[in-house]
This record gives sequence, C-alpha cells and structure tokens, in this order.
Amino acid sequence: MTESTALPSAEPEANTDGAQRPAVHRRISTQLYAGIFGAVALTIVASIVSWVSFSNVGRSQDRVSEESVPRLASAFGLAEFSNALVAAAPRLTTATIEQFPAVSQEVSSAQLEFQFRFDSLSLQMPGDEHIKRIRESARTLMANISTIAGDMSEFHRLTSITEGLQSEIPALQGQANDIILPAIDNQLFFQVTGYRDFASEPTDAITRTSGDELLLYRHLNALQADVAQASALMGSALISSSAAFVEPLQESFESTADRIEISLSAISASEVAPGLDTTINRLLELGVGDQSAFRTSADRLQIIERQNMLLAQNQTIAVELLDEVRSLVEVARDEARQATENSSQTISTARLLLVIISVIGVIGAGLISWLFVGRVLLRRIGRLSGRMLTLAKGDLEDEIEVVGRDEIAEMASALEVFRRHALEIQRLNLVEQLAQELSERNDELQSVLEELSQAQDQIVAREKLAALGEVTAGVAHEIRNPLNFINNFSAASAELLEEMAEIYEEFTNDLSDEDKDLVEEINQDLNDNLQRIQSHGKRANRIVQDMLLMGRGGGETQMTDINDLIHEHSLLAFHSARAQDPDFIVTLEEEFDPDMGRLEVVPQDLGRVFLNFVANAGYATNKKQKELAEAGTVGDYSPTILLKSRRTDESAILSVRDNGDGIPPDVAAKIFDPFFTTKPTNEGTGLGLALSNDIIREHGGTITVNSEPGEFTEMVVELPLTRAKSTPLAEASGDNGGGTGDGGGTGDGGGTGDDGESA
Amino acid sequence: MASGVPGVFDDRVVFGQSAAFSGPAQELGINMNLGIMAAFEEANRNGGVHGRTLELVTRDDAYEPEAAITNTQALINDEQVFSLIGAVGTPTSRSATPVAAEANIPYVAPFTGAGFLRDDHWENIINLRASYAQETEEMVERLTTDLGITRIAVMFQDDSFGRAGYNGALAALERRGMSLVATGVYPRNTTAVKSGLLDLRLGEPEAVILIGAYQPLAALISWARHIDFDPIFMTVSFVGSNALADELGPGGEGVYVTQVIPFPTDLSIPVVASYTAALAAYDPNAQPGFVSLEGYIAGRMAIAGLEGCGADLTRDCFLENILGAGLIDIDGFTMDFGEEEDRKLDNQGSDAVFLTVIDANGSYRSAASMGETTP
Repeated sequence: MTESTALPSAEPEANTDGAQRPAVHRRISTQLYAGIFGAVALTIVASIVSWVSFSNVGRSQDRVSEESVPRLASAFGLAEFSNALVAAAPRLTTATIEQFPAVSQEVSSAQLEFQFRFDSLSLQMPGDEHIKRIRESARTLMANISTIAGDMSEFHRLTSITEGLQSEIPALQGQANDIILPAIDNQLFFQVTGYRDFASEPTDAITRTSGDELLLYRHLNALQADVAQASALMGSALISSSAAFVEPLQESFESTADRIEISLSAISASEVAPGLDTTINRLLELGVGDQSAFRTSADRLQIIERQNMLLAQNQTIAVELLDEVRSLVEVARDEARQATENSSQTISTARLLLVIISVIGVIGAGLISWLFVGRVLLRRIGRLSGRMLTLAKGDLEDEIEVVGRDEIAEMASALEVFRRHALEIQRLNLVEQLAQELSERNDELQSVLEELSQAQDQIVAREKLAALGEVTAGVAHEIRNPLNFINNFSAASAELLEEMAEIYEEFTNDLSDEDKDLVEEINQDLNDNLQRIQSHGKRANRIVQDMLLMGRGGGETQMTDINDLIHEHSLLAFHSARAQDPDFIVTLEEEFDPDMGRLEVVPQDLGRVFLNFVANAGYATNKKQKELAEAGTVGDYSPTILLKSRRTDESAILSVRDNGDGIPPDVAAKIFDPFFTTKPTNEGTGLGLALSNDIIREHGGTITVNSEPGEFTEMVVELPLTRAKSTPLAEASGDNGGGTGDGGGTGDGGGTGDDGESA
Repeated sequence: MASGVPGVFDDRVVFGQSAAFSGPAQELGINMNLGIMAAFEEANRNGGVHGRTLELVTRDDAYEPEAAITNTQALINDEQVFSLIGAVGTPTSRSATPVAAEANIPYVAPFTGAGFLRDDHWENIINLRASYAQETEEMVERLTTDLGITRIAVMFQDDSFGRAGYNGALAALERRGMSLVATGVYPRNTTAVKSGLLDLRLGEPEAVILIGAYQPLAALISWARHIDFDPIFMTVSFVGSNALADELGPGGEGVYVTQVIPFPTDLSIPVVASYTAALAAYDPNAQPGFVSLEGYIAGRMAIAGLEGCGADLTRDCFLENILGAGLIDIDGFTMDFGEEEDRKLDNQGSDAVFLTVIDANGSYRSAASMGETTP
C-alpha cells in the first residue's frame, strides 16, 4: 500500500518542476550564451587582429608587387633583351640570304622589346646613372645594328653575284678550252704533218712552217695560258680575304686581258678557232666594270670589313651595356629583397600576434568547457547516466539525488519518478509470481496425495489378498487331512460293500425275493451314496489344491520362448475341453510376432495363466454356441479364439481374444476376486483369474480386460522385457506358498476355468 | 617493307644502276643496262628468285664523277635499292664506291678493270671482269711472245682510267726489263689526240697500247693511219669494242682489243647462247655485243647470289653467297671468288682475258695468237 501511494505522489513533484521550467531554461541558456559569447568575442578579437595583420602584410606585399617586382622584372627583361640585342648583329652577318628576313625580323623585335623594357624602367627609375649610361650604349648599339642590317642586303646581292661568277668563270674557261685545245692540237699536227683534215692533201713544209703559222700556234698557246690566268685572277679576287689584295689582282688581269685582246686579234683572221671571240669576250667582261669580279669582291670585302669594325665596336659597347644592365638588375634585386624583408617582418609580427590570440582563445575555450561543460554539466550528466546504469541493472532501491534547477535536474527528477514506477511494477510482479508458485505446489501436493491414496489402496488390496491367500492356504491345509480321511474311508467303504455283495451272492438263495430286492436296493443306495461322497470329496480336494496354489511361490525363472509357451498351453486347454465335452468346437488362431523371442519368466506359472485364459475363452464361446443352437439362430457364428503376441521396445504384449458374449461392466470389476465365478458351482473354483493376476504381478506385468458385452472379451497381458524386481508382496506370497504348492499345478487344468463370461 | 632489308619486298628485289646513259660513254651504260635487264627479265619470266621479281632502277651520270656520287646517294637513300649493279667507268666508280661502302651496299660488277676496285679491303664490291693490269699484261705478253716486239708505246686519257691502264702496261714492261719508247696523253672528254700522236710517232713504236674512250682513240688510229704511222694498235675492253669498230669503219682492220668476256656471237659457248636467247626475248631489235654480254653475265651473277640466300634475303647473305662461294659457274663461264694464295679476299670473279681483232668487214673475230693475224 505504501508503494502504490508513492506513485501518485511523484506526479505533483514533476508538476512543480514543470512549473519552474522557464526559470530553468533561462539559467542553462545563460550559461551557454555566456560561453558562446565568450568564444565569439575571442573570435572577433582574433579576426580584428588578423585583419589588421593581413592589411599590413597586404600593404607590404603591394609594395613588393607594385614597385619592387615590376622593377626587378623590367631589369631582368632588359638584361635578357640586352643579350638578344648584343647577339643580334653577328647573327645578321652570318645569316644566309634565305634566313636573313627571319633573323632581321627577330632583331627588330628584340630592339623593340629592349626599347619597351628600357622605357618602362627609365620611367620607374628616372635620373638613375645606370639608366643614362644604358641609354647611350643602346643608342650606339642600335645604330650599328641598323648599319649592319642596311649593309646586309647589299652584301647578299654581292655574294650572289660572286657565286654566279664562281660558276660562270670556270664554265667559260672550259668552253674556251674546248675550242682552244683542239685548235692547238690541230695546229701543231698541221705544222708537223701538213694535214688539216682527211680529205685534203698535206700542205707543203714551207707554207706550214711559215711565220704566220708559227705565230698562230704561239697565239693559240698564249691564249690558252692567258685565259687560264685571267680565270685564275678573277677566281683569286673572288676568294680574296682583303679588299687591299683585289687591286693588284685587277691590275694583273687588265694586263692579261690586253694580251688576250692581242692574241684574239692575231688569230681572228684564221679559221682555227671559230666562236672563240664570243666566249673569251664574255669572260673578259666579267673582269671589267661595276659588275666585275674585282669590283664585286672589293665592295663585298669593304662591307665585311665595315661590319667587322662595327661588330668589334658592338662587342665593346655590349660589354658596357651588359655591365650596366647587370648593375641595374642588382639594384632592383636589392630593392626587391629589401621590400620582401619588410614584408616578411610584417608577416612574422602578424603571425606572432595571431599565435598569441589563438593561445588565449584556446585557453579561454578550454576554461569555459572545463568550468561549465566539464565540471558542471558533464559531471552531473555522468552521475545521472551512472544511476541509469544501476537502474538498468535492477537496483531500484536507492533514491536519485536531484541537484540544481536546470534541465539535468529535471531529467534527474523524471528519472526518480521512473525509478518509483519501476519499483512498484517490480513488487507487483513478485506477488503474482509467488501466487503462481503456490498454486503449482498445491497441484503437485494434490497429485502426490492421489498417488499416495492409490498406493495405499493397492497396498491394502495386496495385503488383503496376501492375507486371504495365507488364510486360504492354512484352511486348505487343515481341511486336506479330514478330506483324505473322507475319501479314503469312502473308498474303503465301497470295497467293503463289494465284499458284502459277494458274500450276499452266496446267500442269495436263502433270502426271499422281497428280501433280495430290499438288500439289493439298499446296496444300490449305499453305492450311490459312496459315489456321491467320492465325487464331492474329489471336488473338495480340487478346491483345496487350488487354494494351496493361491499362496504358492513361483518356480525358477528361465529364458522361455513366449510364442511356444502360449501355443502349447492353448492346445492343452483345448484338448482338456475336448476331453470333457466331445461337442466342444473352437478355432484357435495365432498372430505371433516372429521377433518375440525369449523372455526370462517362470514358464509353469505363465503357462497356467494362458491355460486359464484359453479355457475361459473356450467356455464362453462354447456356451454362446449352445445358446444359439438352442435358439436356432447359430447362423454363421464360429467360435474363435485369437492368440496374439507383439513385442515393443519396452514390453511384450500378449493377448487372448474370444468372440463369446463378453463381460458386463459390473462383473468385470470383480473377476480377479478369489472365489468369484459365474460358472455353475460344479465347474469353477473362482480362483483361476485371481491366481493369474498374482502370477502376472509377480512377473512385474499387468492384466487388462477389454470387453464388449455380446461381442468379445480380450485379456491383455503386458510384460516388461527386463523383468521388474519382485515386489515385497510377491516375495511374501512366494515364501508362503513355496512349501505348500504342488509344483506344476497342472492337474486341474481342464476344470479351472472360473471366470464366467456369460451374462 | 616486309623483310626490313632495303629494296627487299615480299614480291620483288630492287637493284640500282648509275651509269652513263648520255655523253661520249653512253653506249656503255645503255648496253650494260640491256644485258642486266635481259638476265633479270629472263629470271622474272620464270617466276623471279624465291618468288621475288627483279627490278632495276637507273640513273644517268653521263660518266661524270660528281653525278655518280649524287646518283649513288639517291639510289641508296631515296630509292632504297637492295644493291648497286653495272656502274660504268673508273672515275665514276672511284667516286661512288666510298658512298656505297659507307652504306655497306653491294656494288656489283662495275664495268671497269681499275685496280683499286680489286683491293682486298673492300667488303662490298664484287668484280666480274679481269683488271686492266691483266688486260695490259696479256697485250704485252702477246706482243713480246707472239711477235717478239720490243718497242711499245702507250697513249692514255689523262684521268684515273687512263693512268690505270698506263700503270698496268708500264708494270708489264718492267717485269720484262723493258720500258716505253713513247707516251702520249690526251685531255679527257676531248678528241685532241693529235699532239699525243706526234709524241708517239717520235718513239717509233712497233705497237701502241691505247687506254681511252672510243671516239678519241678512233680519231687517233685514223690519223695515224692517215700519216702512214702504222704500228699495231691495241686497246682494252673498256673502249666499247663495237662502238670503236663502228667509229673506225673500214680503217679499223687489224686493231686488237682485249676482251674480258667471251665472244658475243659465238653461239657454241653456252653462256653466249643463253645470252642471245635472253636478249632476243627482252629486245628483239638489240644487237649482241661485248658490253651487253657483260651486263647479262653480271645480272646472272647477281641472280646466283640471290638464289643462294633463300627467302631470308639480306645484303650480307648476298655478298657472302658470291664472295664466299669459290667457284660460280654461269653456263660454263666460271668465276672464282674467295680466299686465294696471295690475298685474303679475291673479289674478282673472272681472270679471263681474250684477244680479239677487227677484221676487214669491221667485225671482231677471236685471235688466239697474234701471229695468225699478221698479214
């Protein structure tokens, strides 16, 4: 009852917490906002400092990029194009006529680039001494380059003329020789032999050796030599390395040319060298005038010399120019380095500042998280989570401490409510469980009680039966002696009566007819009486024997083929029945389990059981047969007894089934009671089934009766395969009957059927 | 190019020829080409060599050394020929052989007997014919042995060809303890031979060995005969025998020409019979001649080299097949290459020199001995 009141009492508490929620929220947000604001404030400070630093760095970088870097770049560019400019002139002079336009273009663009760099640099560094000197050097250099470039077209023209001459001169000389050499050959041959050709007669010696012919021969030879010399002189002029040497060559050429003119005019009258004039005049023209080999060579050499001079001058200027440019580059580089150093100074200052701010920020954030989150929130949440874990493990007893007035406190009190609910539920469950267990215990006790009661009944029944057996055996023992006397003396009396009858015969004639009849009648009556006494004596004796068997112990157990046992005893019963009643008819059917095999049993006892069963069955079927015959309604009724055996894993099930009239339920309850029988007084002792029941029990088995009145009766024996230990009762009865039993007990097989089936 | 070897394709092999197809020596180039093509076409009609037909790319050098160099370079680099064949002339060969040797391209059967081509340092040159030294030696041997002539003069063209023959003759005389009685020279590519003729006449020679081109030599012989200067004139095979005979006309009778190949009209010689048939098949209008026969034998020799290589044709294999073959027999015309007694490599196939003489009809006939021909 106290727990159940605690549950509602938690509700008002929760409600009161709920009522304070706005205050709680303000408090937790205050803490959080304070923390966040602190962090934001630090961030803003850091940003401001960064901004200031970056703008400082930016200004420094601007100085570097807007002033120092362009200046350095211009200086480098100037250096680069200075080199190009210096290299330009030699390239111009060495370029072939095909390369020249491209080279010239490159040189012009190098000049322009140089001028551009220089102009931009001089704007940046006005008044610089280096700039002034560079301007001077560059001006001269460019002027020289222009001169060289201007000369080059003329130089190329002259070179091309030279090349033409160098191929034309030898060709002309060759042409001349092609004429002169055969002419000399022919002239010599003519002068020696007089023959000019095959057709004409030889000229006489005087004519052919005349002064004219000799002079002709001489001029031809001179012409060949002079043509060779003129060609050589022109060739020399063309390959001369100095203009100074050209003049003397021309001088010699003019002399040679004069001689050639003389020789040509000397041979012009003769026909020895037709076409020679043209060739040689053309050759000589090459040595005269503005286009002559000499003039061309001299002009070309002059250009080369001027170019060499200018190139040498350029070389000097170039050295100066490059020195100046190099100095300029150094100046620009120093400035740039200075600017870069300033910039890095600013950067490192800004970096230091940022590091300090960051350290402060990190420490501040650390403090906030440690103080607020770590110390207050996390520890409390941890505690709460610890309590949740212990709750989960089942510890519901300890109360949860509610500290503070924020969300965590709310969680704690909610958890407390939860804990109380859980506690309550746990307890309710416990009561229900106990009730359940109690009920189960009760049921168990009940069943045990029933079992006990049954056992008790059984014990009582057994004891009763055992006691009855003892009494019966005792009574039988006591009755047997007097019964023996009765039987023996009745037999003796019968013999005496016979002797008396024999004696009577001897005296029969002495008697009257009436007396004779009387004596004979009396004798007859006495014999009848003795007959009856003997008959009933025997009956009494049989009863006594059965009674003695009731208490007797079983014989020795031995392994026995059960199917054989049933078969033999059923035949035995059948034949005993036939012996008593020749009209007895029954069909024995067997359904034996071939796997039944052997069991450890007392064969005589078990055989008696089946003898009884079959005898009873035969009795029942025969009785039904006779009743039907009397009523005239036999029909197709055929008395049948079915014998069955079946082996299961644990037991052997043996049954005897007849198609007699069955057993009414009120009779069925009593059939195992001793002395109960439905047979006529003379026919059953009422001990057969009681005895059978005893035997089966001693084997640890059971007998079950199945019956349908009017249809069938089935006696089912179930024997355990491993023989159960003998019950104390069985032992007691065994001891009891051990001495009194007459072993086989088979002597009364035929008449022992005692359980009536007839309604 | 399936094989990776220049000029060798799955279905053909390409040869190159730089020779004089114009100018004063044009007959030589044209006829060499004719003979080679006759041999090649003969092989091609029979399915080629190992399934490859033979092709010949030609270039005209007009007997000019500079042109021979550029032609040879063009054939090797532009035309990518497998081998060079049938070059004509000593100065041209002298210019072209360094180019060919640098490319290690076979240089087969140049139409010249110059000694330098027979030097044993060459690895790529295959000579078909006997050398000028052998020809001049044969002349001197015949003059001295058959006729007992002692006064011998030489007339030569002033170039490497002329000097090769001149040196050969000089050496042959020196071997016999003799010397030249006169020496005449004429300028290359001219017919200005008359001054030289006068020089010869001064020595009063019984025989004159001529080393030169057919036109100037024909002029020289004609003029000599005209001025009753009538020694025995002898010349080497390079002269272009048929051209010389044509140029001389009736005046050519009694001029001796040494030949390095058999007589081109003697059908009793098996190789000449083959040649005649091949030539007729290739060009029905062509006249047999010494130069085209030499061309034909050169073509056959190249074919023999190709045949030995099988399908995997390489230049090294080709050269080895001929130079290492020892004896090569072309229808009875035998050539002997390879290592010999006095030299590690003999790159000259034939040592045969035949003497022929121009008869009154302007035709050649064989002269087994000079004595027989003496009128």
